[in-house]
Amino acid sequence: MKNINLIISTLCLLVLGACTIDEQFDPNAPSVSAILSEAEPNELDLLVYGAEARMRTAWDTYITSTGTVARELYLFDADPRNTEDLLGKEGRSLDNNTFYLTAPWGTRYQVVKNVNLLLEALPNSQGASEAELAGYRGYARTVKALMFLQELMRLNDNGIRVDVANPENLGPFVSKAEAFNEIFTLLDEAYEDLQNGEFHFQLTDGYGGGFETPEGYAEFNRAIAARAATYAEQYGNALSYLEDSFLDLDGDITVGPEMIFSTASGDVLNPVFKIPGQSGDQIIVHNSYIEDIREGDTRLSKFRPRVDATSQDGLNGTHETALYGSALDPIDIIRNEELILIYAEASIQEGNLDDAVTALNVIRNAHGLGDYDGDVNRDALIEEMLYNRRYSFWGEGHRMFDLRRYGLLNADNLPIDRPGDQVFQQFPIPLNENQ
Amino acid sequence: MNYSTKFSMLLALLFTTATAMAQFNVTGNVTDGSGEPLIGVSIIVKGSTTGTVSDFNGDFNLNVKGERAVLLFSYTGFASQEIEATPDNNRLNVILEEDIADLEEVVVTGLASGVKRSNLANNVSTISSQELTEVTTQQTIDGALYGKMTGVNIISSSGAPGGGIAMRLRGISSLSGNNQPLFIIDGVYISNAEIPSGLRFASGANSGSEENASNRLADLNPEDIESIEVLKGASAAAIYGTRANAGVVIITTKQGQAGKTKVRFEQDFGVNTIQRFVGRRQYTAAEVEEAFGPDERARFERAVADGEVFDYEQEIYGNDGFITDSRMSISGGNEKTTFYFNTSYRDEEGIIENTGFERFSMRLNVDHRISDRVRIGINSNYINSFASRSFTGNENEGGLSYGYNLAFTRDWVNLFPDELGNYPTNPNAAGNPIFVRDNTWNEERNNRFISGANMEVNLYQTDRTVFKLTGNVGIDFLMNETSVYVPETHQAQAGGTNGFIGEGRNGLINYNYQAFAVLDHYTESNINFNTQVGMTYLNFDRDLVLNRASQLIPGQTNLENAGAQQISQALATEEDFGIVAQEQINWDDKIIGTLGIRFDKSSLNGAPNEFFAFPRASLAVNVANFDFWSINSMNQFKLRVAYGETGSSASFGSLFTTLLPVNIGGQVGIRSGGSLGDPNLEPETSQELEFGADIGILNNKLNLGVTYYIRDVESLLYPFDIPSSTGWADESRNDFDLRNQGLELQLGFTPVNRDKFQWNSTVNYWYNRSEVTRLGVPPFVPTGVAFGLGLGTFFVEEGEPITQLKGNGAEGPETIGDVEPDFQLGWFNQIKIGNNIDFTFLTHWKEGGDVLNLSRLLTNLGGTTPEEYDDLVGFVEDASYFRLREVGLYYTLPKFSNTISRLRVGVSGRNLLTLTDYSSYDPEVSTKGTTGLSTGIEVTPFPSTRQAYFHVTAEF
Repeated sequence: MKNINLIISTLCLLVLGACTIDEQFDPNAPSVSAILSEAEPNELDLLVYGAEARMRTAWDTYITSTGTVARELYLFDADPRNTEDLLGKEGRSLDNNTFYLTAPWGTRYQVVKNVNLLLEALPNSQGASEAELAGYRGYARTVKALMFLQELMRLNDNGIRVDVANPENLGPFVSKAEAFNEIFTLLDEAYEDLQNGEFHFQLTDGYGGGFETPEGYAEFNRAIAARAATYAEQYGNALSYLEDSFLDLDGDITVGPEMIFSTASGDVLNPVFKIPGQSGDQIIVHNSYIEDIREGDTRLSKFRPRVDATSQDGLNGTHETALYGSALDPIDIIRNEELILIYAEASIQEGNLDDAVTALNVIRNAHGLGDYDGDVNRDALIEEMLYNRRYSFWGEGHRMFDLRRYGLLNADNLPIDRPGDQVFQQFPIPLNENQ
Repeated sequence: MNYSTKFSMLLALLFTTATAMAQFNVTGNVTDGSGEPLIGVSIIVKGSTTGTVSDFNGDFNLNVKGERAVLLFSYTGFASQEIEATPDNNRLNVILEEDIADLEEVVVTGLASGVKRSNLANNVSTISSQELTEVTTQQTIDGALYGKMTGVNIISSSGAPGGGIAMRLRGISSLSGNNQPLFIIDGVYISNAEIPSGLRFASGANSGSEENASNRLADLNPEDIESIEVLKGASAAAIYGTRANAGVVIITTKQGQAGKTKVRFEQDFGVNTIQRFVGRRQYTAAEVEEAFGPDERARFERAVADGEVFDYEQEIYGNDGFITDSRMSISGGNEKTTFYFNTSYRDEEGIIENTGFERFSMRLNVDHRISDRVRIGINSNYINSFASRSFTGNENEGGLSYGYNLAFTRDWVNLFPDELGNYPTNPNAAGNPIFVRDNTWNEERNNRFISGANMEVNLYQTDRTVFKLTGNVGIDFLMNETSVYVPETHQAQAGGTNGFIGEGRNGLINYNYQAFAVLDHYTESNINFNTQVGMTYLNFDRDLVLNRASQLIPGQTNLENAGAQQISQALATEEDFGIVAQEQINWDDKIIGTLGIRFDKSSLNGAPNEFFAFPRASLAVNVANFDFWSINSMNQFKLRVAYGETGSSASFGSLFTTLLPVNIGGQVGIRSGGSLGDPNLEPETSQELEFGADIGILNNKLNLGVTYYIRDVESLLYPFDIPSSTGWADESRNDFDLRNQGLELQLGFTPVNRDKFQWNSTVNYWYNRSEVTRLGVPPFVPTGVAFGLGLGTFFVEEGEPITQLKGNGAEGPETIGDVEPDFQLGWFNQIKIGNNIDFTFLTHWKEGGDVLNLSRLLTNLGGTTPEEYDDLVGFVEDASYFRLREVGLYYTLPKFSNTISRLRVGVSGRNLLTLTDYSSYDPEVSTKGTTGLSTGIEVTPFPSTRQAYFHVTAEF
């Protein structure tokens, strides 16, 4: 039996000594824990670039979901929900677990998470100067406010979450008013930080023309604040935010920071661009836009006539989008044109009608329309302002909120294409938020 | 049977040294019923390890101690016999009868041992090469099993040549991990990966699983297989531990037999055709106007006038695919060395032009006895397979998937190229299917080498005790290359991404080894103790690289000739280590008990060096073998019960919270949005209790097996969507228990047994029922299993089946269906007429089980659904069917030449007839690939095919 003992001993040795499995690490990507401890500026910058990259994702869904509700456009693709749910066909309601809600919502909050990680990482970081830390904070809070604003406008009275730093313990959904307060607080804190801040990171070419510096970025911050104040119907504040923004009544109306696209590895193409003439995946202009546009308005060039009118699901359209010329065209985040129209709107609301006319004329002239010669009273100017916002920002995610702000987001004011279609006021809270 | 295990037993017996005591010599000869000598029959002195095997002429010679002995004659495929020998009766001529119920077959139950089926405590389904490949030619191994064994459900995710098959044993066992069983071929843990080609980046499909890639079991040549054993649940598979939650499939390949070298050549010719056409909606001009407006009516009338109304379904799916399959095998050997060699080539064309599958396979199995005590076996298999699968299934505006775009394509629009070769733009869909068929490709090529070696050393042997060591190593190396090409002229590409190339280079290496010590001891009182201890190690390594290019230089198909490139890579290494101990006690084939335990640790667990225990216990009582048994006509009556536990670790990556790479304008960044990892994950475990009875009447001419099982999967790991406002997608949770229970019946009988007409028949009947027994979160829609409640989806809810489908109702989610069949029934028949004609057929009846037919949702949207389905409400349909799954008729020519020992010709078919109310191509469907819950959801699949074959077989 000696042999057996020997063999068993060997076997035991083999068994016990053979295999210790190493601690596991992820071979595929960097981990959160590494970023949160002793990150250097080069690593912190990655979170900035990640936020810039990610805020572009699902932007097309943001545009088509709000645009369809506002009867700006239809998305004719293979998903029936784009023409059924969003238009309230045959009693349908907006689903709380479908891409048109969840895709923009999720990606906005992923950007928020990126900047929250950045804010969380800053106290433990290494090698960044005080000014650079302030620069990161100013950037992070501005972006966070912008993301909150985008989703608050879609969910409206449902409110949004603003305290989302800890995934184990999320803050509650807060009311629209509280959310706006948070947005203004963030923007104001960011504005403070940007005054003395430096950017270690290099913002993309989309911020070219001066917005890539803390000073320029601070003007962008004020522009976002002016937009938020307008949406919040705090028109006096809007006017004061505009003062420190890049509003320029005499300047190029197209100036402003942009989201850029490229064919670099890992980058994405402009998702709102659609191939001219393509069917099966096309943004179709609502026919009311073609019917209502004024003679000579050059904004007609945003719409391209189709060779054949197209129809799907009982809906028809003669024109498709021509908003972007190629898949590499940038998308404006906010531009001087919007600031001028905010200036006009806030001036009307504050009773400065002459200022409003001046501003509206800048926009009218830029688009081939002569000076305004209608009545100069509040109602008339609001109508003129809304006409201009309607055509200046077609397909840019404003129309639903403009209509709602003026009580026009309803069947009395909007064309109902099919009997039984409905007009929705706001998007529901996503199912997985467990509300 | 498991050859190596059995053979090792024989060898152990063969070289037993008999010591000098009172002894006598027994000689004799063994033949089958027709007088042919049987070579290698095991002859053992009952209750000892003394024995021998019969030689080339069926002769044997054995020295026996004492004054008398009972000799046990056993041989695979034949019923064993016990014959008493004495010094006066020492010349035995034995005739063995065929074993109808396969009771003698040795079933692998431990990692280093097997047990006779008649002593088995579990319902282990086994399928022989005869049932596997002799009815008709099989495309893939998994596809060949459906209807032939109980408890096995098979769903096809694609009808494309080369497979794409999901196998589910006794229901669903996991939400996150793999529901595919573990596949082991000759001791090698092989990869059954489904490797996506990245076509989703061109088609817009939501995930790799929607690409409907083939699963890599397709590489194995079914002809090489001697037998397949399926350990369906934890009670049988416990000894495989932490990877066995979804069951284990043990494949044994053919071995050579000592004797004359046999050469066998087989040639098949066949044809692939679509099982059925769904049809296209037929329009009148008025209907066109009503549906699409007056402009469209004008176009329609113009097309009618020009005779340019087409049937695009026929155009795309109407190809008759030619199939050839050639195989040659050589086997033989002598007493020391045996070999089996097979080479085969299959070339199969699909029902869509430019689709197909080719497989070249070569195998050499060698078995050699180095000495009396040492045996070594080496099995090697090289495969080169190629598949062209084109584009089917779900997509989003890619304009590639045939069915998807056909749903929107109007038959009066001419999509054929003009005289200059320009393809028209499809005005109603994102792509022109004729263009896609003629100008794109989606291909994969696999170079694969699977090899295993096993060794058995007989260390110590006495009359009553054998001690041996066994060990084996195995490697599965797979180099998978995928290639997808969409030209820049495709209408969804031109002006946007301007063409697409996807080139995948995927390396998968699995290796494993195990070592066991086995002690076999027979007591005086006829009790056999079989003890084994050992260890196993597995290492699975994956490196998946996908290169993508867009903005192509016109006409170029090289990655470099493009304006934009992207690379993605996924690395993974998994390691498991286990220690196994098992004790099996057999009292004279009357009572057989087994106790075993396995300890496993895995790199997939949060604590990689913590062992998890997986015990098992089973008991079989052969009541008919007791002396008191007096019902002579009932030769077998066995009661059995078995219990076991298995596990399943989380899928790779679940431990980590990672930041994902992004790029903006050439600047890289990292972002959140992935899964929230859990560094403390433990494996989910499955506990199964199985009990039943086996009854054999009239020498097993009638045999019945009844099994009931209750399988509880506890602490199921599942990705749970956490609020998106966290910035993360999901987290792993495990507060989830699931119960599967079901009944399995197998009835074998011989309706007719005459000289000139023999008919053997087997009926398999089974059902499974599942219930979510615990759920720590509110009811939820699992990630990635369907397309949301708006369209209908799986919905996990306590107290309900895991297979239920729910959709949005007036008051929240309401039940719209259940994909679990009520029951299934397979009926296998072998009829032998005279000496020359074999007729075999298999029917399969699946009753109940729903399918969510989203193909019809699309055709409704596009206005192409045939009128006959206008009345269908909703998209959930009953997917019951009755199918003539396999049928074969063969004629063996009377012997006419001395060179050709056997010449056989035949015709056969697969899926020749299906009776169903299901409105689409095939009720066996899955658009979400083969893992997870993914069955019973249809989105424009590659239509299933039927095949007809002509066969010639010659043996020399």
